[in-house]
Amino acid sequence: MTTPGMPIGAPLPGPGASGGPDQPAVTESAAEVHVATKLEETAGPGEKEVLRVEDLTVSFPTDDGLVRAVRGVSYAVHEREVLGIVGESGSGKSVSSMAVMGLLPKSARIAGKILYRGDDLLTKSAKQQRALRGRKIAMIFQDPMTALNPVYSIGDQLAEAVLSHEIMPRKQAMARAEEMLGIVGIPQPKKRLDNYPHEFSGGMRQRAMIAMAVINNPDVIIADEPTTALDVTVQAQILETLVQVKDEVNAAIVLITHDLGVVAGMAHRVLVMYAGKPVEIAETDRIFYQPRMPYTAGLLGSIPALESGGAGSRLRPIVGTPPSLINLPKGCPFSPRCPLATDVCHESEPALAATDELGHVAACHHWDKLADVDDPTVYFRTESEAV
Amino acid sequence: MLVFIVRRVIVSFFILLAATFVMYLLTANAGNPLGDLQESRAPNREALIEARIRLLNLDTPAPLRYFIWLKGAAGCLVPFAMECDLGQNLQGQDVTALLGVALPQTLQLVIAATVLAMVLGITVGIVTALRQYSSLDYTVTFSAFLFFSLPIFWVAVLLKEYGAIRFNDWLADPSVPIGVAVVLGVISGLFWMIVISGDRTRRLTTFAAAFVASAGALWLLSETRWFEDPGLGIIVIAVTAVGIAFLTTALVAGFTYRNVLYAALASAGIGIVCHFALASVLDDPSGLTIVGLALVTVAVGLGLGYGLGGLQRRQAMQAAVLTGLGTGALLFLDRLLGAWDTYSDQVGGRVIATIGARTPNFDGTFWEQGLDRATHLILPTIAIVLISFATYTRYTRSSMLEVLNQDYVRTARSKGLAERGVIVKHAFRNAMIPITTLMAFDFAGVLSGAVITENVFGWTGLGRLFADSLRAVDPNPVMGFFLIAGTAAVLFNMLADIAYAFLDPRIRLS
Amino acid sequence: MSNPSTPDPGPAPGAAVAADAQGMTVVARTQAQMVRRRFFRHRAAMGGLVVLALIVLLAFSSIGFASVPGWWDKDYWSIATVENGGRPTLSVLPTWLGGSGMHLGEHPFGQDNVGKDYFALTMRGVQQSLTIAFVVGLVGTFIGTLVGATAGYFRGRTEAVLMRFTDVMITIPLLVIAAVLGRRYGSSGIVVLGLVIGLVTWTGLARLVRGEFLSLREKEFVEAARAAGTSARRIIVKHMLPNIVGVIIVAATLAIATAILLEAALSFLGFGVQDPDTSLGKLISNYQTAFSTRPWLFWFPGVFIIAIALSVNFIGDGLRDAFDPRQNRVRD
Repeated sequence: MTTPGMPIGAPLPGPGASGGPDQPAVTESAAEVHVATKLEETAGPGEKEVLRVEDLTVSFPTDDGLVRAVRGVSYAVHEREVLGIVGESGSGKSVSSMAVMGLLPKSARIAGKILYRGDDLLTKSAKQQRALRGRKIAMIFQDPMTALNPVYSIGDQLAEAVLSHEIMPRKQAMARAEEMLGIVGIPQPKKRLDNYPHEFSGGMRQRAMIAMAVINNPDVIIADEPTTALDVTVQAQILETLVQVKDEVNAAIVLITHDLGVVAGMAHRVLVMYAGKPVEIAETDRIFYQPRMPYTAGLLGSIPALESGGAGSRLRPIVGTPPSLINLPKGCPFSPRCPLATDVCHESEPALAATDELGHVAACHHWDKLADVDDPTVYFRTESEAV
Repeated sequence: MLVFIVRRVIVSFFILLAATFVMYLLTANAGNPLGDLQESRAPNREALIEARIRLLNLDTPAPLRYFIWLKGAAGCLVPFAMECDLGQNLQGQDVTALLGVALPQTLQLVIAATVLAMVLGITVGIVTALRQYSSLDYTVTFSAFLFFSLPIFWVAVLLKEYGAIRFNDWLADPSVPIGVAVVLGVISGLFWMIVISGDRTRRLTTFAAAFVASAGALWLLSETRWFEDPGLGIIVIAVTAVGIAFLTTALVAGFTYRNVLYAALASAGIGIVCHFALASVLDDPSGLTIVGLALVTVAVGLGLGYGLGGLQRRQAMQAAVLTGLGTGALLFLDRLLGAWDTYSDQVGGRVIATIGARTPNFDGTFWEQGLDRATHLILPTIAIVLISFATYTRYTRSSMLEVLNQDYVRTARSKGLAERGVIVKHAFRNAMIPITTLMAFDFAGVLSGAVITENVFGWTGLGRLFADSLRAVDPNPVMGFFLIAGTAAVLFNMLADIAYAFLDPRIRLS
Repeated sequence: MSNPSTPDPGPAPGAAVAADAQGMTVVARTQAQMVRRRFFRHRAAMGGLVVLALIVLLAFSSIGFASVPGWWDKDYWSIATVENGGRPTLSVLPTWLGGSGMHLGEHPFGQDNVGKDYFALTMRGVQQSLTIAFVVGLVGTFIGTLVGATAGYFRGRTEAVLMRFTDVMITIPLLVIAAVLGRRYGSSGIVVLGLVIGLVTWTGLARLVRGEFLSLREKEFVEAARAAGTSARRIIVKHMLPNIVGVIIVAATLAIATAILLEAALSFLGFGVQDPDTSLGKLISNYQTAFSTRPWLFWFPGVFIIAIALSVNFIGDGLRDAFDPRQNRVRD
């Protein structure tokens, strides 16, 4: 049955996973199940890499010292693949994606490689970067309430995305905008073109943002917490729209979220970040059922479950707070909060290394301890539980 | 929207009414209007006092006297139908007549200055926001604080001494000694080095280039006795016009799509051709001719943009019109300077004036009269601009920084929009929303600012009327001035609200 | 300098926990410390503070104040013979640089046309300017806060009446109303003049405070205080005002800078300080025509006005940065 601490009633099939939803859906889990079935129907990830990030580091000089926001991130995204990036706020997930978009402030110090179809974006001129931005790599932001310019109409802002990359009569761009609004599920798109953002609801604005992101048929869509600011009921709809539109334009998605429930139904693979570094990369199923990094296990334990009874219904939170990015502790940055930590953890920081399955890497000295138990969240048992 | 405006008008009207009441009481209390007569030794003292009491209704208590004043003032609401009566001054002249004489002078003085301060301040504010923490930003910030802290009359006295008296002395034998040229060159070099920041090599090259260009130009102008009869010359005009074409294109469209640039260049070209083609018309035109030519320029610009604009027709039309008007302004300036020689002879070499709005009894061609006005306007304008400019710069800078931090600016960049579009389209319009309120305050406050400027520069405008009348305890002209200043304040606040609604669709509906 | 766009780096781990555990007082103290730290780091503001302190010290110690005598042996009303055309005897250039050494001389800032010591006159002017600025700032801030807080807290009819009244007052340009009041009260001494000007310069702050109060009164801690039956006066003074003290202090500073220039303008027009007393604006006004012949009569008071106004403006800017660091920082 369900793993304790899992999101409510989530069978969570990854791409190609067998067994559909066999659980009666409870409230919002309906959306996940639904999206999940959707994903199964969609075309699976292709072989070709569209985006590859190699050893990306980003730091910001501040009055108090150098903030090392990203400390060496590497990942690859294949055509049509959905890659989930999960982490707490401050883990560097947003900063690394802003680096991919080339939207970091000038003060940021960026190193490493960001390869789009083999070309390093970091060595390109500002003009070349701009030509790719919004056309090949598009982005959807967290808060649709503030991400649209309040003084221009929706149609105007959509058409602008087209006109930034291609000179064409405005009418033609508007027609394209109308078509996209229809695709993302906004009724009466022609009328809605003249509306201003404040005349749209939150969910509709996020749909408009999705339309804006895909209007130039991009290869990669970076979705930075696309549902966090929305009502729970709307979240599911937006995720569904995202998957649907991805198929429409054959794009890959980098889905950034702090919510494991969101990636559960969407992502093919998941990358977990902590303190500016990836600490575990695996297929979505493995992350949920066989995590090999205590931090991931802790995240799973932090999700409230709705089923009553049994130890599984208890929250098993991670104690403490993430470390300061200015003064990182010696050794594994998670060690101060880790129930498995030993002396070696406080001494040396583990690198990402292979675990018991091909393609599943984790940065932990003691990943095998997690392999030994059925329920990986057991290490995060609270005192009261132990008694 | 209409309901919104009507409601706003009604509220404003009552606010103005209440303000006049407060002001009337204060003015009535400001001094003893009989003071001078009571101290006089004139034999008919009693009769004079009696006459003044009747003239000003002093036998009625002030709060009731207000209503007498209001009854007369109410006539001003309905032009032609009723008589506008704002009372008389101590000499028995109608206040309406006094205001009629003073108002045009004041408007002349403040409109140009305020518009100039606004355009300059907003431009500089935006540039400093875009280059936050650059040496330019620090320099402008410091200057803005300095200008904030300058008493305008103090600046005015300095301007009169150095901008007029000593400058005119120098014009008698205008030569720039080589040492002065070098010093000015260094200053210009430093200026451009700050404006064009960059790495060390770039700063040094900028400094060197600006130094050589400025010092060289000064030396050349001095050697060719340019200052005795200044003018731009067709080559300078042509080069500048092309520069304007490129600048407007860069602002409205960028250079990826060439048609906009072609339209702007064509507009500049036609302007230059007109310099020769219209030479005879422009020898001594009337003001109407100039207005007509400006309208023709706009029409031609629109036509050029429409014809040559291609896929970016709208931008091309904007660029062509702006370039055309810019070129026209250059030609105008050239003609004005062309009158310098004869004008200078007529005023005995004292070209820059320190007092008044016009040279008394001056008569000449359109250009000579224009130059006469310009030379009288220039110093007070600089004084006003210096002070207002600082406010606009600071407000625009902080408003722009606030907007640049907004999520939608990031969204605009993420679409791949060029930086020009991000700034000009997305950031600028949002940053302007709070600035409209400032503009309203500034426009309204400028009339009271004129009180000082007019007193220093001897203009007989509204501000002078106010100060003189207040000094003489002459209540009716003081109230007349306030009626205009207060109406302006209320009116511009209302306009700001409407502009606000126009700029921000969120307000429009509610 | 710039704040990085790291997604919520968050406060240092310890601080957040401590603040949560011990409630508001801890947060308030750390905030005050941060404000102080930011202010002391603001170089221009520190410069302004030092210059202003020196000017205050100089003005009040040199010729004394009220009945307390100062160290300067001349006063600003005694008429004397004009020596050497009234030229300043101040010298700051050391002899080894070709100057005549550093000394004050008999009349460091020269003499006016009837031989009064111009240094003493200027110092008197500085005293007057500082006094009026201080009084205007105090009165204006007090009334503005009172009106704004009352309107913002009580809402309803109280608010309507107070804010309409504010609208009426704001319609009258400051210089105009100040001139009319100055015409009447200018001769009653600087403190009275300051009081009446303060009575009309509170409008901007009232609007500002009201706006802040409108949003504050919806906050939970205010609701809680109300639910606990705390009196309105106590809620306003103890719970709400401390939260906007930054806004008020910054506005007060800027009001002081405005008041200095306003007094100068009034005295220049003849509606401010009256004879036999003097002020910086009056000195400039008196000697503006003497600029070509005796420029020092014009320069000294002018430089002091600018130095005071500039210092106060810089202090205000430093305070604003300290209280609201977000204002001048770009995130991305």
